[in-house]
Amino acid sequence: MLKFLLKRALLTIPTFLALMFVTFVAIRLVPGDPVEVRVGEHGISPERLAQFRHDLGLDQPVWLQFWHYVVQLLHGDLGTSVATSQPVLAEFLTLFPATLELGFFAMLLATLVGLPAGAIAAVKRGTWFDQVLMGLSVTGYSMPIFWWGLLLIMFVGERWGWTPVSGRIDLINHYFEPRTGFMVIDAWLSGQAGAVKDALRHLILPAIVLGTVPLAVIARMTRSAMLEVLGEDYVRTARAKGLPAWRVFGVHAMRNALIPVVTVIGLQVGALLAGAVLTETIFSWPGIGKWLIESINRRDYPALQGGVMLISAMVIVVNLLIDLLYGLVNPRIRHA
Amino acid sequence: MTHRNAKRALAALTLAASAAFPLAAKTLVFCSEGSPENFSPSLNTTGTSYDASRPVYDGLTEFERGTTKVEPGLAESWTIAPDGKTIDFHLRKGVKFHSGVNGFKPTRDFNADDVIFSFERQWKPEHPYAKVSGGKYDFFNDMGMPGLLQSITRIDPYTVRFTLTAPDTTMLANLAMDFANIASAEYADFLAKAGKKEQFDQFPVGTGAFQFVAYQKDAVIRYHRNDAYWGEKAKVDDLVYAITPDATARFSKLKAGECQLSMPRPADVPEMQKDPSLRVTSLPGLNIAYWAFNTQKPPFDKKEVRQAFSMAIDKASIIRDVYLGAGQPAKNLIPPTMWSYNDKVVDYPYDPARAKALLAKAGVRTPLDIDLWYMPVQRPYNPNAKRIGEMMQADLAKIGVNAKLVTYEWGEYRKRLQQGEHMTAEMGWTGDNGDPDNFFFLHSCEATRQGGQNLSKWCNKAFDAKLQQAKTATDPAVRTKLYQEMQVIEHEDAPDMKIAHSTVYEAMSAKVTGYRQSPLGKHQFNGVDIAN
Repeated sequence: MLKFLLKRALLTIPTFLALMFVTFVAIRLVPGDPVEVRVGEHGISPERLAQFRHDLGLDQPVWLQFWHYVVQLLHGDLGTSVATSQPVLAEFLTLFPATLELGFFAMLLATLVGLPAGAIAAVKRGTWFDQVLMGLSVTGYSMPIFWWGLLLIMFVGERWGWTPVSGRIDLINHYFEPRTGFMVIDAWLSGQAGAVKDALRHLILPAIVLGTVPLAVIARMTRSAMLEVLGEDYVRTARAKGLPAWRVFGVHAMRNALIPVVTVIGLQVGALLAGAVLTETIFSWPGIGKWLIESINRRDYPALQGGVMLISAMVIVVNLLIDLLYGLVNPRIRHA
Repeated sequence: MTHRNAKRALAALTLAASAAFPLAAKTLVFCSEGSPENFSPSLNTTGTSYDASRPVYDGLTEFERGTTKVEPGLAESWTIAPDGKTIDFHLRKGVKFHSGVNGFKPTRDFNADDVIFSFERQWKPEHPYAKVSGGKYDFFNDMGMPGLLQSITRIDPYTVRFTLTAPDTTMLANLAMDFANIASAEYADFLAKAGKKEQFDQFPVGTGAFQFVAYQKDAVIRYHRNDAYWGEKAKVDDLVYAITPDATARFSKLKAGECQLSMPRPADVPEMQKDPSLRVTSLPGLNIAYWAFNTQKPPFDKKEVRQAFSMAIDKASIIRDVYLGAGQPAKNLIPPTMWSYNDKVVDYPYDPARAKALLAKAGVRTPLDIDLWYMPVQRPYNPNAKRIGEMMQADLAKIGVNAKLVTYEWGEYRKRLQQGEHMTAEMGWTGDNGDPDNFFFLHSCEATRQGGQNLSKWCNKAFDAKLQQAKTATDPAVRTKLYQEMQVIEHEDAPDMKIAHSTVYEAMSAKVTGYRQSPLGKHQFNGVDIAN
């Protein structure tokens, strides 16, 4: 097991290096550097332009800039944002809990609804339930997030007034210092009446919007995995033994069907972060998605590089964990 | 009562019951467009950042709320020496800095030291705060302050003398700009001693109508009323900026009552105007979009040709189709909200036949090939330069001119224009300080140099003489007359075709009272209230 773990962990090193390089180069391929983007109609004197470039290290050859960047990263320093002069890591850590909280609730929704729905569809294969569910899941999967979000805001938030339309908390009635960055927890810690409920209400629409695609994927994956498992000999044996249906499906079939589903859930983390960019924009959710987009617009190289590196690191770690989990669940993979 | 209103009423009742006394605090929520770079206006470059620091700070001079008129601020009055090179500012006494922000409690009132600190930080590279937070003072440099200032000296605790290298009356308007706001020198010392200089730009301490409370990046900024404010006091207890970059989300929040004021997208305005719970105001922006003719390149060296081109373009269609109505055709370089605007100038009509005749008279043979440069980016004064370029191209074809559309990456585009490589080019300007000089310098002879801002490379001696005279005259009436005469010269000589001033909208809840939209695009909340 240790060998397997080490091998997997070592494999992440070249991935990181490649990532570092690609991020570094990609942002520099976009026309305009942080200084040019900052300059408006006023223009800038050549001396000041040279000074700005020098301060940011942009006057050095690209390979040297890359070298400095790698050395800096190895020292655990992600640099300072050009726009705000704040450390990139500090900015990331302020915003990341919001994205994590939203992602968690979206995944929770997707799993809690997707798993049973997919399982039931498999058991009731070919019935109206199965057909409606699969139709819905295709719709959910192919629906543009932006449109779906606006639709929900328009009806649920604006017309019916059931939920707030954006943000994380009612800014007029609730004010407390962020302690963890997770609004639901902070609201709870604040002890203010109704704060937790309000924070949860603010989560409803964004979690639905962000959770829709993973929900559709999980439901479909569960259904097909279940269908495969239901045809297996051991399920037939379990049935022949006269076990009750819930035990056959819930324990014997479901447990084995879950293996590919767990992988899919892990893979959704990357997709979730991509979806978060749009969801955060629509709902004014102060997370890292919005921050990254802004950093691109400002050509804020350090913020963008640092942000992408941190997110990639997380996706890599999650995938590594999934691999390990997979190894635990299925010993054949470990020894392969 | 709808379901929603019933719920609101219930919530209000519960709130009122839980807070036995006094009445619930009044909170004004402004849906702002983005996070500030930081809270020191001297370091910032965006309107969003200035909006975030404005509640906290005051300047020596101020713009009267809702106008471009300069009025006394922290300086109660000023005396300009006869040679125009020395200005003595007499400072207001008894002005308190905010107390309790970031653990700082001021021990003295505002005085000359704060003025000197605020300017020297931006001006002197050896100043202890010069390099803090990146130390880029764009506006101080853009407004030419390093060249203009000779010295700033303290005459006594309540008098500061600005000595200039040349007489310049626009200085008073410059000082009303956000970059020239006054921060607390005592607070700077307090942080320096604690080894936390960078917090100076994160936790602002000023003398403004609101005191800074808290900021969460991309989420919210909170301020509380400054009861000790010397000027027009805030009428609400708390001011909240709900950071909402997406225009659709801002509209939703406004409709849902989650904020009371925001900047709408022009496309949303018609729907907003139909909603009785909202009020929309509009003003021409402090900007101009123009099409510059390079007068150093034939045939644009001939006045008739420039006039012909000015008549060849259907401006009304551009306003309708590209600005979607959110703009007004421009005939002068300055917008109509600015003092000295000459409304007597009559714009060139859209008249292709006359344009053609004028071209023939100037000896230009058609078909004529020209290039037409358009900006690769959207600007506040020009929503779509490419589309405008295409429309112009079609209009020009009608008078026998083949226009080739050209563009470059934005930085490159500006550079090449300033070098004068173009024949004709779309460009524009956004005003800084509400002073006409801040627009007309674009047509100064000095700015025709390579790398200068005069993109028509047009140097008219009569115009330039008046420009210089207006810059040093202290009597506003004299200045107004000079600028109005300059607009006539400029119109006749047509160094460029004025396209439009974009319209800036503000949307607010109908309950908001006392808000005055600023032609400078500033958001200011002292004096603003919410009706019950």
